[in-house]
Amino acid sequence: MIDILFSAFLLSAVLLGIHSFFGLEIIKRGIIFTDLAIGQMAAVGGAVSILFLDGEYLDPTSLSFALAAGAIVAFAVQRTDKPEAFIGLLYAFGLSAVFIILSKSSHGMETFQKLMASDILFTPLSEIFKTAGIYAVLGIILLLFYNRVNGLAKEVLFFVTFAITVTVAVRLAGVLVVFALLVAPALIALRIKKGIPIINAWIIGTVVNIAAILVSYNFDFPTGYTLVLLHATLALTVSLIMPVCTVRGLQES
Amino acid sequence: MRRCLSTILICAAFLPAVASADPLKVVAAYPYIGDLVERIGGSNVRVLSLARGDYNPHVIIPRPSFIAHVRRADLLIISGAQLEIGWMPPLLRQANNPAVQTGEPGFLDLSQYVTLSDVPTSVSRELGDVHPEGNPHFYLDPENILLLARAIKDKLVQLDSRNASYYEDRYREFSELWGKKLVEWTQKMTPLRNTRVVEYHKVFDYFVHRYKLQIAATVEPLPGIPPTSKHIEQLEAVLTTAPARFLLQDVYNPEDASRHLAEKLNMKLVVLPHDVGSVKEATSIFSLFDELVRRISE
Repeated sequence: MIDILFSAFLLSAVLLGIHSFFGLEIIKRGIIFTDLAIGQMAAVGGAVSILFLDGEYLDPTSLSFALAAGAIVAFAVQRTDKPEAFIGLLYAFGLSAVFIILSKSSHGMETFQKLMASDILFTPLSEIFKTAGIYAVLGIILLLFYNRVNGLAKEVLFFVTFAITVTVAVRLAGVLVVFALLVAPALIALRIKKGIPIINAWIIGTVVNIAAILVSYNFDFPTGYTLVLLHATLALTVSLIMPVCTVRGLQES
Repeated sequence: MRRCLSTILICAAFLPAVASADPLKVVAAYPYIGDLVERIGGSNVRVLSLARGDYNPHVIIPRPSFIAHVRRADLLIISGAQLEIGWMPPLLRQANNPAVQTGEPGFLDLSQYVTLSDVPTSVSRELGDVHPEGNPHFYLDPENILLLARAIKDKLVQLDSRNASYYEDRYREFSELWGKKLVEWTQKMTPLRNTRVVEYHKVFDYFVHRYKLQIAATVEPLPGIPPTSKHIEQLEAVLTTAPARFLLQDVYNPEDASRHLAEKLNMKLVVLPHDVGSVKEATSIFSLFDELVRRISE
């Protein structure tokens, strides 16, 4: 069983690496649900591909919908003073669009769910390495350019890389796991006074990931949900007991 | 020396097969399969069922133990006809057990032993979650259970031939008992012949057709797609002119649309079990069908 647990851990580690960066950024920007909206719009792309193209071009279609969603959010953040409301509505739009599209589809919900999200337990190693490769490229691009550009260019860079990241991750681990890895370690990291936030997020996230996978194995719980539950429990507890005034990221920005 | 070594190696390779006093490790996709295997395999098999009987058989949330069980299995039995399409292929891949891969002796697909209904004639799947191989809920025809039991018996004999007579005896015992029950169920169901029924999902087709009841409509407009207002409206129109007596509901789909229709059109809403463990009375393959018959005929 070690190999299966190891690949689940490897996947969670690969996801955690880049999601911690985005997590810190979206919390600072106050646009936490962006990943759900983008993930949901990627699902609309998937549904469109299933309805009109019989599931052909699923990846490019869902990616282009995700990129479009990223662009819309980037634009909205500049335009509106209530980005969260905008993002929430975009999510609701995407969710209902999927149901409406699929009600006319030749495949229905079953096929859709099978195509759109797999379980963290079922991800083959080859997929994990492929994802690690994509994330490495995105990471290098962000490292090289993110602090050198400003204004609209920075926003576009951020949302394009974020949309790609989320689309790839949701396909492998499902929307809930991605959301937990994105927000929970970052939220805790922002409350710690010492060290660099992203390193703290990595350390916290890794410890929780390992704990979740061991708990899931020992008690035979569904692995993805266990991961979400532990991340959420820790982040909620820390948020309740640590005073708000120490939130450093918010003071900086 | 080299020859001696290779002889030892060859012997060692056959050792597990020869010395297997251990029971055969069987993993069943659904509880009804597990129960059949237990009845025929008795103390020579150790059975584990993956899915829970009260859940939607199309959707299973995997747990780590699934992989462990399939990995250690000598025999994996699926219901087939794509009922497990959403969860079995990745599970088989992750478990990485060469003995139970599709086509290997340690793999048994029960749908191969029965005749499926609703096989689509065209490949374009215009009709919702239609399974290209046909309606996969064939195990709710009690006559089919005998064919499935025989397929399981043959497979156990093939994998564990030393205990062939044991399996043959238990199979004969089972089929005699089942034959008696078939007579009893037919007696109870005969008065309902030609009764018109509505189903939520096409899960009870085989059961209903076996006893010559008529399916007037389904609450789902297409398999796997929740009812739309227009479809409900059409159903109301159709069922007003040609009424149906029962509305057959499974335990895992939402009941609200069915309850609305049943009340409005004066049908009796009957919640039927679809697998062993789906309702508390259905504890075995026998009580599953006892309960199906009881709930619809009482």
